[in-house]
Amino acid sequence: MWVGLGIAEIGRTVGGLIRQGSPLPVVLSALCQLFDATAKGFSSSVLLLDRTGARVRSAAGSSLPASYIKQLEGRRVSWSETPSGATINAKKPVIVLDPVSVPLRKDQEAAPATAPGLRLHEASPILSLTGEPLGIFAVYRRESNPDVIHCPSALIPKFTQVASAAIERMRSDEALRRSAALLERTQQLSSTCCFSWHVETDEISWSKELCQLFELDPSDVPVTLELIGARIHSEDLASFREMIERARSGVSDFEFEHRLRLPDNSVKYLRIVAHGTRNQEGHLEYIGAVQDVTHRRHTEEALARLRAELAQAARVTSLGVLTAAIAHEVSQPLAGIVTNASTCRRMLAIDPPDVEGARETTRRTIRDAERASEVIKRLRALFCKKGATSESLDLNEVTREVVALSVSELERNKVIVRTELAGELPPVQGDRVQLQQVILNLFLNASDAMSGVDDRPRQLLIRTERDEEDRVRLSVRDTGVGFEPQGVDRLFDAFYTTKSSGMGIGLSVSRSIIESHKGRLWATPNEGPGATFSFSIPCGPQEAMAGATGARSLGAIRMSAVTNAEERHGRSL
Amino acid sequence: MTVKRPLVAVVDDDESVRESLPDLLRELGYSARAFSSAEEFLASDCIGETRCLILDIAMPGMTGPDLQQELTVRGQEIPIIFITAQADETVHLRSLEQGTVACLLKPFSDTALFEALNTAFRVS
Repeated sequence: MWVGLGIAEIGRTVGGLIRQGSPLPVVLSALCQLFDATAKGFSSSVLLLDRTGARVRSAAGSSLPASYIKQLEGRRVSWSETPSGATINAKKPVIVLDPVSVPLRKDQEAAPATAPGLRLHEASPILSLTGEPLGIFAVYRRESNPDVIHCPSALIPKFTQVASAAIERMRSDEALRRSAALLERTQQLSSTCCFSWHVETDEISWSKELCQLFELDPSDVPVTLELIGARIHSEDLASFREMIERARSGVSDFEFEHRLRLPDNSVKYLRIVAHGTRNQEGHLEYIGAVQDVTHRRHTEEALARLRAELAQAARVTSLGVLTAAIAHEVSQPLAGIVTNASTCRRMLAIDPPDVEGARETTRRTIRDAERASEVIKRLRALFCKKGATSESLDLNEVTREVVALSVSELERNKVIVRTELAGELPPVQGDRVQLQQVILNLFLNASDAMSGVDDRPRQLLIRTERDEEDRVRLSVRDTGVGFEPQGVDRLFDAFYTTKSSGMGIGLSVSRSIIESHKGRLWATPNEGPGATFSFSIPCGPQEAMAGATGARSLGAIRMSAVTNAEERHGRSL
Repeated sequence: MTVKRPLVAVVDDDESVRESLPDLLRELGYSARAFSSAEEFLASDCIGETRCLILDIAMPGMTGPDLQQELTVRGQEIPIIFITAQADETVHLRSLEQGTVACLLKPFSDTALFEALNTAFRVS
């Protein structure tokens, strides 16, 4: 009756269970049940091995005592001592010819291998298609059935084959479920969704999360480019279409950032990264990820606003320090104006009027008024609150303007100002007011550091020069109190100050301004007394300022064209 | 007959003051000379002749008060009218030292200057 039992029939028994999603032990128990029913006088069990193949992970059997099954779980498979171990080692069935003389670990009472009334008859390895041990199919003879001594050996390979298929299927299902769960969790964690786009047919497959992100009804299938386009922010639509066209022309990878305008008028920022591949038919297909970067964008914008406010606070602080200097700068020409005008009036009042003298004093009056308005113009530029702008600048000119504005304040503090500005300095790209703010901060810091110095000249050396790698450098060297080497890291902390007055945010804001110019600001102690503060920024056009301005690079597309690589390759052939 | 006009010296590092103030002083009936620093004034030959000194407070190098002290040391008692563009510097001169007639905050009117000069010449 068992002789006719084929693999197809055995497979059908367990196949239904697998399709129903039954757990593996249930499937394997059903397999054992079929074997036990087929081979009278014999019982079977399936021992599942862990991934190392060294330990029994779980066991299943239908007519074996549950207590016996239970004690097998977690046991080590001894490679040499036991038939189970031997069968794995040899990767072929081990038939126990004399069960009495080779009982399973009979010599170790503490570890009974079999249940009472059972003799291990044969143990066969269950191997994967690649030959990896998955488990052991063990057949026991029931001693209560002494007549039956011949096991239907031909049946065993069929069962191990089906068991192998079942275990592999279950394992791959599990791996798939795990990876799907992992992917879902990863997508949740990184606010990322994925999609694929078949360029030829415009077939788009979207994850459930992507539908949620776009606030599309998942039943709105198929998702089309038109459907997506309807959600794109109108200002980004043109660049989105451009990206689609370029992707169609066969670039290998692309990155894109754009906004969504949702039905409730809210705006989301998305970042798309896609990788192009050719499928088996040679058709172009993109697989990509979409990340919701709205939160990050808002944070960046808030940060840029905060930075602008902080810079403004620093300006106001400097303004306080500079009030005296401003008063001085404006009062000087005003004094000239008043004096000249008074003289003029007197010259015209005498008889005969001194017309020539009056003309001369009027000329001076006008000149002094122009000088006063120059000062006001410079101050207005320095202290108005506005976002960063980027223009081509001559660092020497920028420096000279700050020197002109602050020299009287510095001289009032008995500071001797010397400038060494390099000739032929290449232009830099940046924000004039922000850079002047930094330079002014450095001047005021240097002046403060020298305020208590009386035993040596208070010298301030301002130098500009070309730095390596197409950069320009400005350094401000003083002969002040300097700083402790261990304090250098803290110099640039916001609110760190060695001064008793002032907010101490000058240097940290200065550094953030210089960094937004893709530059670097640092301090070094002098060999003699004092310290030197320097910054270096790249010359020529650059992509800086994003952080400072909060400017968005939306609609920016970065693509690496396959065609270019092919061209290069083609030329070299 | 000609009466020799009394000499008023102006010491200020600001050029427009050096240019405009002597003209006004001449209009007011004085003779005037301007110096760009305290050192230049000390090196000149007109200290003895100067009847009044109009002196800027904040100057690079030797300041106005420094010059005042130097003149006291030398025994030169010249009435001084301080001028300054810095409001807080008038505070430093609150306990006006001997010889200080007035302290004018730039910009000052011709009448304020005229009054200060009258005071100075009454003192002398």
